[in-house]
Amino acid sequence: MRLSDFVGQEEARLGLLLNAVDPRCGGLLLVGGRGCGKSTLARLFRSIIPAGAPFVELPLNATEDSLLGGIDLEATIARGRRALRPGILSRAHGGAVFVDDINLLSPELTALLIESQGRGAELIEREGISERRECRINVIATLNPEEGDLSPHLADRFGLCAIMDDLTGPADRLEVLRTALKGAGSRDEPKDPAVERVAVARRLLASVRFSPEAMDRIAEIAEQSAVHGHRAELFHYYAARACAALEGSKQVKVVHVERTVGLAYAHRRLLPGEEEPPPAQGEQQRDNEQGENAEEREERRDRRESDTDNPSGESRERGESEAQRESSGREEVQPVGDPFMVRRLAFRKDRTKRKASGRRTTTRTDCRGGRYVKSLLHSPDHDVAVDATLRACAPFQQSRGRKEQLIIEQDDLRFKQRERKTGHLVLFVVDGSGSMGAKQRMTAVKGAVRSLLLDCYRKRDRVAMIVFRKDRAEVVLPPTRSIELAAKRLAVLPVGGKTPLTAGLLEAHRLVRRTLRNRPWTRILLILLTDGRGNHSMTGLPPLEEGFRLARLLEEETYCDFIVVDTEDKGNLVRSDLALKLAQTLNARYFTCETLHSGQLFDMARTGFI
Amino acid sequence: MIFPFTAIVGQEELKTALILNVIDPGIGGLLVMGEKGTAKSTAVRALAELLPELETVRECRFQCDPDGNLCTVCLERNETAALPRDRKKMRVVELPLGVTEDRLVGTLDIEHALRHGEKRFEAGLLGDANRNFLYVDEVNLLEDHIIDLLLDSAAMGVNTVEREGISFSHPARFMLVGTMNPEEGDLRPQLLDRFGLCVQVTGLHDRDRRMDILRRKADFDDDPVRFGDRWRPQQEELAGRIDRARERLPAIPLDDGVLERIVSVTTALWLDGHRADIVIMKTARALAAFRELAAIGNPEIRDAALPALLHRQKRLPFEEVGNEQGRLRAVLEENLPCA
Repeated sequence: MRLSDFVGQEEARLGLLLNAVDPRCGGLLLVGGRGCGKSTLARLFRSIIPAGAPFVELPLNATEDSLLGGIDLEATIARGRRALRPGILSRAHGGAVFVDDINLLSPELTALLIESQGRGAELIEREGISERRECRINVIATLNPEEGDLSPHLADRFGLCAIMDDLTGPADRLEVLRTALKGAGSRDEPKDPAVERVAVARRLLASVRFSPEAMDRIAEIAEQSAVHGHRAELFHYYAARACAALEGSKQVKVVHVERTVGLAYAHRRLLPGEEEPPPAQGEQQRDNEQGENAEEREERRDRRESDTDNPSGESRERGESEAQRESSGREEVQPVGDPFMVRRLAFRKDRTKRKASGRRTTTRTDCRGGRYVKSLLHSPDHDVAVDATLRACAPFQQSRGRKEQLIIEQDDLRFKQRERKTGHLVLFVVDGSGSMGAKQRMTAVKGAVRSLLLDCYRKRDRVAMIVFRKDRAEVVLPPTRSIELAAKRLAVLPVGGKTPLTAGLLEAHRLVRRTLRNRPWTRILLILLTDGRGNHSMTGLPPLEEGFRLARLLEEETYCDFIVVDTEDKGNLVRSDLALKLAQTLNARYFTCETLHSGQLFDMARTGFI
Repeated sequence: MIFPFTAIVGQEELKTALILNVIDPGIGGLLVMGEKGTAKSTAVRALAELLPELETVRECRFQCDPDGNLCTVCLERNETAALPRDRKKMRVVELPLGVTEDRLVGTLDIEHALRHGEKRFEAGLLGDANRNFLYVDEVNLLEDHIIDLLLDSAAMGVNTVEREGISFSHPARFMLVGTMNPEEGDLRPQLLDRFGLCVQVTGLHDRDRRMDILRRKADFDDDPVRFGDRWRPQQEELAGRIDRARERLPAIPLDDGVLERIVSVTTALWLDGHRADIVIMKTARALAAFRELAAIGNPEIRDAALPALLHRQKRLPFEEVGNEQGRLRAVLEENLPCA
């Protein structure tokens, strides 16, 4: 398969070509759903980079060791001095590192990888080795937003990003099929014209100059877009220049700038609630053009955010008109209630033990994946710390009469103590439907969430938040350590519309699965705040029946504890106590909004219940 | 080639805070908070070129100060003869996120052991960082056990190693410089307090300045050597200014009038502990030296108090960062009228 044969995905292909022309474009993040060709396309990057340049794939189970390298035992002993076994980064120098599903890679490794790309060098300070190596790499990564997000901070380090389209037209589909057939095995297909194009462009690049208009346009776009920092315009600059070179032009023109704006800005747009008002001195005559861009971006963003239940990316307008039809569908944002003290937010101990013993074998093997903190003289696991053992035996080699091989005695053996962050995730699942708006109920709920957030802040837990209202559930806050961000999102949560309780539970289930796949040792506390009166079904089943089914599914989830906060007005004659039943199904701790607000939570918490 | 410090557009607070730490290392480092892509790392790395020379013990692995605390080796040498002196340029030592514990605190020199069959201590990054800058990018992503080690030696000013049959201790006084993006997670309060100063950086929104950034970055990437040559006069001028300020520093008086004004600010803000007072004092004096003044005036105290107090004020976890800055400015204006 050749890059030029690839059907559609202009943006993504351009992103790859630009990176091949000028590595300063800073890598490419390919965002798209399952089966849209992300990985196939990314692997084609290998064919367009200069011959001999490495293209290394980083597996998701990689360790810091494999990324940065470590001590090479054999060479060390043979030469009588330390030798380094190069890691993936060293092997990729001058070429590319490919990461499939980068959002599933541990955040620590992602940070290390991206950091090395940005720096153009790798710093190794490990196991007695201190080295700085040049490491010019381009990171090509794919991301499926359904599988979890990449922190905006890390995403920002990617020079360019392409949001991939789903090809839906029959003609397109047919052509994809044909290409796939043709691509299977024909070894002697003619050389990809893209290779020659890239080679020509690379030679041309040094002499490409910006026209004043193009430079103006770059600054103008940067000025008018609400993004943080200056990376967007810097990478936009290099992308536009590479684009000109690719088209054989010695001058960067406005058209090249426009052509690359999506690639430079797609992943840097701010989330709602973060946006700063754009500077006031915007020029009137440019507003139309800019508006177009903004619309286009907004559209892409919607596509990216729409979950699988709405594969066609239903527009928000439709959701809103539906909400307006609801009798109580008035939308408002209620303020956050006063916080109160929550003393202890711990995880139930009995449950931990049961699960841990039940999965003992896996836990043990898992333990090897942790971070090697220090070496021990004794350890129940035979996880030998080679470096420390080597150090321990080294001083005695002469006295032991070493000839060829190193002489290691039992006493020299050292073992690894591994440590890993026991991640705690507190997941808030908040009912944002119209019924929550009555009697400032949402204010009380926000107050409760805020109090719990305060506690998470002290415990350094990660938090996430899902809100369900109208016809869908939305992860308004992907798992994060930033409680400030959580508080910001909480403050702007609106209420109004129907109660898609099942959608909320389903989204929670997905997030739990995703988290556990990514960090299997994470303990999750799910706090559900609702009146339990689900009235919007996803499958056509009665909404309540659907809700309880999902609750049973969730309850089976290991490493997950539940709290249900019932927000129903208990003074009301027609109380349903549905949330109580839900709590029973989930095997959850149960509170009402009133017991929460009267400081009861504090007492319950003090006794160690929560 | 490193991007020249003086070629960085804007970010004056950040640049000044770094320079003040060079003038008086006693200020105790700097935390740079801010959004992504705002030259945080670039500025810290660029600082290296402007650093002055230190008086050290010759051939000491830890650049011990001949008149200060000494490492185990220098202590032994000092018993038999006067320590030979040398000069070494101050450095920026970088602590990468993937650092292992033994590389941080030091460990047995494996090469030496293999060759000579005897045990010798091999310095870690804490040893390299003695009297130098220790720079941690994304300090809030650092692993907890590494932070513990950092805090330990930052508190004692000494790194003591007792492991694998070696016993060694050396001074480890470093200026801790960290960058972080608060949205990626918070920093432990103990670590936060270890940073003498804290500045907040944001991107520049002015169009012309943005163009400057773009042009300079592009010029630098095209030909770093030529770009460096072009900025050499500015670099030399600033390095000279820092040197003169270092010389002038001890002569600037810290009289009761100055101390009283500092305390009036910290009392008005109900601050715990005395680290803030000390940091403001040292920063104000370094600022006066940098501004080529003979004495500390109200503007110096004010400009020192802002970065010294930004991260030390009592703040509710959810209070907007802007809020407490406003309060701080109000207190400063009231207590330190500047003509």
